[in-house]
Amino acid sequence: MPDVPIERHTLDNGLRVILSRDPSAPIVAVNLWYDVGSKHEKLGKTGFAHLFEHMMFQGTATVDKGQHFSLIQAAGGTLNATTWLDRTNYFETMPAHELELALWLEADRMANLLPAMTQEKLDNQRDVVKNERRWSVDNQPYGSWDEKMQALVYPDGHPYHHSTIGSMEDLSAASLDDVREFFATYYAPNNAVLTVAGGFETDAALRMIERHFGPIPRNATLPGPPDMTVEASIGRQLRETVPDQVPLPRIYLAHRAPVFGSDAFDALDVAADVLGSGRASWLYAGLIREQRLAQDASAFVFPITGGASMFVLWVTARPGVSVETLEKALIAEIDRLASDGPSEGDLNRVRNLRAAQTAGMLERIGERADRLSMYGCLFDAPELINSEVSRYRAIGPDRVRDAMRASIHDRNRLTLTYVPAEAAS
Amino acid sequence: MIARPAATAPRPYRFPDFERHQLDSGLSVWLVPLADRELVSVHLLTDAGAAAEEERNAGIAALTAQLLVTGTERLDAAEFAETTERLGIEVSSESSWDSARAGFVALGEHLDAGVSLLAEMIRSPRLDTGEFDRLKAERLNDILQSRADPGRLADESFLRELYAEGVPYRRLSAGSPESVAALTVADAKAFHATRYVPQAGHLILAGAFEPAAALATIERRLGDWTGEGKGHRQIEPRTRVDRRIVLVDRPGSVQSELRVGHLGIDRHDARFFPALVMAALLGGVFGSRLNLRLREELGYTYGARCSFDPRRAAGPFTASAAVQTEVTADALRELLAQLDRIRDDEPGDVELAEVRDFLVGVFPLRFETTAGIAGALEPLAVYGLPDDYWQTYRERIEAVGIADVHAVARDLVRPDEALILVTGDASQVRRELEDAALGPLEVIAAT
Repeated sequence: MPDVPIERHTLDNGLRVILSRDPSAPIVAVNLWYDVGSKHEKLGKTGFAHLFEHMMFQGTATVDKGQHFSLIQAAGGTLNATTWLDRTNYFETMPAHELELALWLEADRMANLLPAMTQEKLDNQRDVVKNERRWSVDNQPYGSWDEKMQALVYPDGHPYHHSTIGSMEDLSAASLDDVREFFATYYAPNNAVLTVAGGFETDAALRMIERHFGPIPRNATLPGPPDMTVEASIGRQLRETVPDQVPLPRIYLAHRAPVFGSDAFDALDVAADVLGSGRASWLYAGLIREQRLAQDASAFVFPITGGASMFVLWVTARPGVSVETLEKALIAEIDRLASDGPSEGDLNRVRNLRAAQTAGMLERIGERADRLSMYGCLFDAPELINSEVSRYRAIGPDRVRDAMRASIHDRNRLTLTYVPAEAAS
Repeated sequence: MIARPAATAPRPYRFPDFERHQLDSGLSVWLVPLADRELVSVHLLTDAGAAAEEERNAGIAALTAQLLVTGTERLDAAEFAETTERLGIEVSSESSWDSARAGFVALGEHLDAGVSLLAEMIRSPRLDTGEFDRLKAERLNDILQSRADPGRLADESFLRELYAEGVPYRRLSAGSPESVAALTVADAKAFHATRYVPQAGHLILAGAFEPAAALATIERRLGDWTGEGKGHRQIEPRTRVDRRIVLVDRPGSVQSELRVGHLGIDRHDARFFPALVMAALLGGVFGSRLNLRLREELGYTYGARCSFDPRRAAGPFTASAAVQTEVTADALRELLAQLDRIRDDEPGDVELAEVRDFLVGVFPLRFETTAGIAGALEPLAVYGLPDDYWQTYRERIEAVGIADVHAVARDLVRPDEALILVTGDASQVRRELEDAALGPLEVIAAT
């Protein structure tokens, strides 16, 4: 695979800039990662980082409410933003000749958000976010899994103890003062990474970036990261059963795991693929096709950086299959990987799948920009984008086995089981 | 406000050129070679969608499509999965109303092996009884799961309540629990034998390949594929046209899923482009009227939208939103008011220009990936749209004027005939829906 080109700059105000030029592209991506996520929220303010992200679309001293979207869309661009545990990202993909519009809008809201902020806008977006929560969590079968899992895997008071969407009660409590304080604290150029990828001329792009972002003052009193310290292992087996409006039981297993960026995390990423990626994966072949115990199955790692990440699996029971039988069969596959490790055939399979998936991801200029921002923001190392596949390929069976043995066992396991509500009562 | 930065000179973009070849077997081959790509996407389309089913076998198209990836005469399910995935290939196979599609995306170096395996899968699938029984059970379980999901429950209920008895579009293309339960592997074998044929089939390649070499591989693997198909049914999309409310009771819901609509257009409708622009303005983009009103002004929902679903025959026009339970009737009034407004008044020139500019400007963003380009040729293959469809697409959008949008809104948005379907907690919303007097109300249990 050819390397993604990378050029790095830092403005005087601390904004880190990553350029990745593709001279033939008719489009360009602008992507901004702020080093702030739900892990930075204070007690009683869960969900605020995400609510704040919504406020960034509500207009500024310069741009009226609604205009941020309409200017981008009328230019033929697409845009969005997401918030997660470690970070918040904002992004646009534009026809190449409208690069400066996207840069201007991002710089404008980094600089000029507060004068246009009103209680009415906050109340409106609070209602929208509460409906987002109802739609994705409260009114959704199994919808509370992530929230419950984080609350049980991380101790009370740990920044990952609560999920990004937050509680209704805390969303109700969010105030304009919170908006002002959060903005003043975290939305500063020296707390962000800006990536521009695709069709642009380097000198012209740098001039635009300097013109729009250069005058924004840094925050000289940027707080350090929250204390993320946590034991590497849960230390015991946790169990919780959740009665829900679901026809079929589903088991979630969650384990504390080494953080994203570590060698052991990469090994567990491979392990998750051996177990859960494709129809030749162990869970699909074993639990779905051969034993016919499960309707579906999945395994994945959470790419998060503070203290401990998570290694998660879930399986849904077929009707008539008890959760005990299913859990036993699931754990048998996990334990087999921890005791025997994967075969060279398993590794060959997941390596080639990952190579194709990575090539597919990098076809999209917006994804390319997002990954560059991610590696820039989390590790100050955007060049990691170019060693993803080789790092994955370098992981042999012993590393997978050792990483499984170290972390994926029953003294470090939450078993969260959703059961049909009527069956539970 | 200060002026937005000026745009620089646009970089011209053309939808990539493609070549078409007709094999003696009847299979059409569409080649889009893209020199700078690493990946190639391969889509094989056959006239084996749900429209090609007999109604008594509803769901056989979907099950047969899924069954194909469970092995060939030579390779069993496990071996087929291993063999493809070791090349980094995840083979997909699925069906819609108007076609079935099997395909994959691979690094260019694996194209030959991938096409060979795809051809083997299509021409000599294993169609194993045990795997059929497993997939059938999984399909029935999925229907069970879908009815616990408020959005999917609303989508399925809307179709059932909208289309008249006997119209296939009344159900999901993958079938109903009753029809799926009756299917056997013999049905799948018969469906495969008569529908997976080269006649009316299309093989689309987009990405990293050399056309002559790819064509030689295709000739070698599919040149002697034979068979004539039975074709597909002509569906008569009759619907009810009386305005009414159906409340599907889902106790405990904290939101109501709203679906409001009626019969829409088919894929050959002459009003396709004005309808596309009108639907985008009303509910197809973030800044659309429905989303601005229900979300950005009222905060009733995380998002409101509308769309047409054009097929060979007319699919539905549907406006939808998930709203908090307390505002169910208010949200419906607001949604219906937007349907009235787009009929009553001409759209503003600024809002229309914005939507047109979006659809024209976003054009190159839609074709970033090889899968996006291969997918873009599918409607040309399935519906016989002209070869210059994408070359003229932007002009046709640009040509849609205020009067066109207004005329098409008056024709194609008919709130007086709308089915208003609500999935929510009847104990919370029934009274307010009765008081709102938006139409006769029927309350039914979730199936």
